[in-house]
Amino acid sequence: MSSGGSTTTNISGEWILLWTMPVVWLIWLASFVAFPGFVHPMSPRMTAQEVSAFYFNPENLARIRYSMIVFNWFGVALIPMLAMIAMQIRRMAHRTPIMTYSFIGCIAGGPTLFCMADLFWLLAAFRPERDPSLVQLFNDLAWVTFTSQVPFLVAQNVFLAVAIYLDRQARPIFPAWVAHFNLLSAAAIAPAAFTALTLDGPIAWDGAVSYWLKNITIALWIVVMTVVVGRNISRQRRELEVAA
Amino acid sequence: MKGTLAWRWRHDPKLELWLAWVTIIVFYNIFGIVFFGMTRTQPPPPPWWDHARIAQWFSDHHYGLLIGFGIIFVMGAFAAVANALIAYSMRRMSVSPIFAYSYLIIYSLAAVPGMLLTCIALVVGAMRPDRDPALLGLLYDMGFLSFSGTMGIFLIGSVIWGIAILLDKNRVLPKWFGYFNVCNAWTEVVVATCCINKSGPFAWNGVIAFYINMVVFAVYTGVFITYLKKMIEREDVLQLSF
Amino acid sequence: MSSNSLSSAPDDSAVRGASHTHPAPVIPGQPDMWVLVMIEALTFSAYFVVYTVWYRFKPAMFLQSQAQLDLRLGVVNTLIMLTSSWSIARCVGETRAGRHRAALTYLWITAGAGVLFSVLKVNEWRTMAGQGFGFETNLFFSFYYFLTGMHLLHVLVGLIMLGVVFHQLTNPARRSRELVETGATFWHMVDFLWVIIFTLLYVMR
Repeated sequence: MSSGGSTTTNISGEWILLWTMPVVWLIWLASFVAFPGFVHPMSPRMTAQEVSAFYFNPENLARIRYSMIVFNWFGVALIPMLAMIAMQIRRMAHRTPIMTYSFIGCIAGGPTLFCMADLFWLLAAFRPERDPSLVQLFNDLAWVTFTSQVPFLVAQNVFLAVAIYLDRQARPIFPAWVAHFNLLSAAAIAPAAFTALTLDGPIAWDGAVSYWLKNITIALWIVVMTVVVGRNISRQRRELEVAA
Repeated sequence: MKGTLAWRWRHDPKLELWLAWVTIIVFYNIFGIVFFGMTRTQPPPPPWWDHARIAQWFSDHHYGLLIGFGIIFVMGAFAAVANALIAYSMRRMSVSPIFAYSYLIIYSLAAVPGMLLTCIALVVGAMRPDRDPALLGLLYDMGFLSFSGTMGIFLIGSVIWGIAILLDKNRVLPKWFGYFNVCNAWTEVVVATCCINKSGPFAWNGVIAFYINMVVFAVYTGVFITYLKKMIEREDVLQLSF
Repeated sequence: MSSNSLSSAPDDSAVRGASHTHPAPVIPGQPDMWVLVMIEALTFSAYFVVYTVWYRFKPAMFLQSQAQLDLRLGVVNTLIMLTSSWSIARCVGETRAGRHRAALTYLWITAGAGVLFSVLKVNEWRTMAGQGFGFETNLFFSFYYFLTGMHLLHVLVGLIMLGVVFHQLTNPARRSRELVETGATFWHMVDFLWVIIFTLLYVMR
């Protein structure tokens, strides 16, 4: 496999894939707002009865189901953009493709785990008349999966940062600030892994660190990286047009 | 001697492609026998059964579930060859390699929530025959809902393959199959109805959400297996750089 | 050099040059699109059969639920769809005659109709939901949301196709009569499906 600063000359279709991102963001945002347990995050302290009532509430039930169905449809839509980042890593001045492969190994993980969290929410909402302790069980499974499953996100950010630091050529593929940003993001996301330790406070799944900091960081990361990758692809297109 | 299996093992330049393709056929056959014959999870039993009836189902299918899904736990990942050949078809196209890589990455973990979670839930349900029926009901739901609940993977994957085929100038696969991919994506939307309805045509065993959908998916699968074969037969033995 | 990337046909620029005297081919547009139309027609036919079967099981409930739908809105939507079919047909005609600016105008009309249809449809859903009729209210409403929802999905994909046609038409180097016909074929199918859905859901009792 060729590496060491070679340019990928075939980028046909990437522009289309890139522009699916803003559309997908709008869809995610709509689903985020639609799900009644996100804008004001549900508390882990809710009793089984309260959780059951939350799902049973006719105002909530339809919104829960539809938002989770839409999240399920578009959860993995992030992967083409992540694959584009991997292609950019391939263009870096590395001796081997190790960093690219390490990055690639991570990018299916985040969206797949999100899909599973989704499924647990759908299951909680499937039979709200179920025994409340069982509804709470599915709700717990969903929230814990959604909040604490950060390993792939942390690893992919660190791999990307290291790849950028190791990209030693005259015109690096990504500027250094992207690496710093990735390390900071990984650090911001990591504490959420401990969410099951506590039922309130900043680390709990509705807390300032595990919920707000983590999710805002992820949203910011997606937007920033899409713009950065988009700039690179745009530059590649111009270079190809000049060369043609 | 040319054309015999031994000769082909040694000399056929397309050997790895044929091995992959044959594995797909074998995999789907085993999948069919396990899911339809041994475990009887396809076509799925109804969502409206009460806990006692569900417990009965687990009891009736005790060994079928445990042995059938044991087989899946051993060889379930061989489905990777299908993804590899499909990704390879996209690498032969004139579009960016991103399409192939995205597809491969998306599907690499597809089997986890899409198939294995179902098998795990139902195996756990079968393993303790004296479990509280309410808990068996939970595992029953988890098993059957998660089978349909991984729509996103197939939806996005089909759209990626479809766009790649429609943009392709090398005519690796026919354009109408690109459109068929869009149809397949739509079936993933249809199946979402079973997350809401528990009886009638939109239930997880309903005429629309399961049977008609399965027909479309089965035809789609048959078509792509056939066209992958044609693609392998047609191709010149080129070296691709990865 | 092939003139556009969605077509598998050879470059037909020689044909286009004399297109206003060239008779339309037997199958307009890509034959591949007709395969899609067939698949969709079969699938939707199956859905319609299931609908009619269930209607016979529970005629009272279906009849009563049907009365909740706004027939006038359905008629308006049908007129919009038929107009859009007319305008895309005009677009194809203008493209064949080489009058690309006129073709673009008709394309805009079609897209506008598609957007208007979508907005009205979403509004109708919100009204129905507001009155308490959701997907799970009863089987009729499951069918209502399902059929109109799947149809709207086709309208949205149709709008994307119109976007592709627009992209091609605006650049003389990329123009292709075949692509416009392909897009038109899909759009006609979308219209045809709506007419049947409208008849089944709103009219037939």
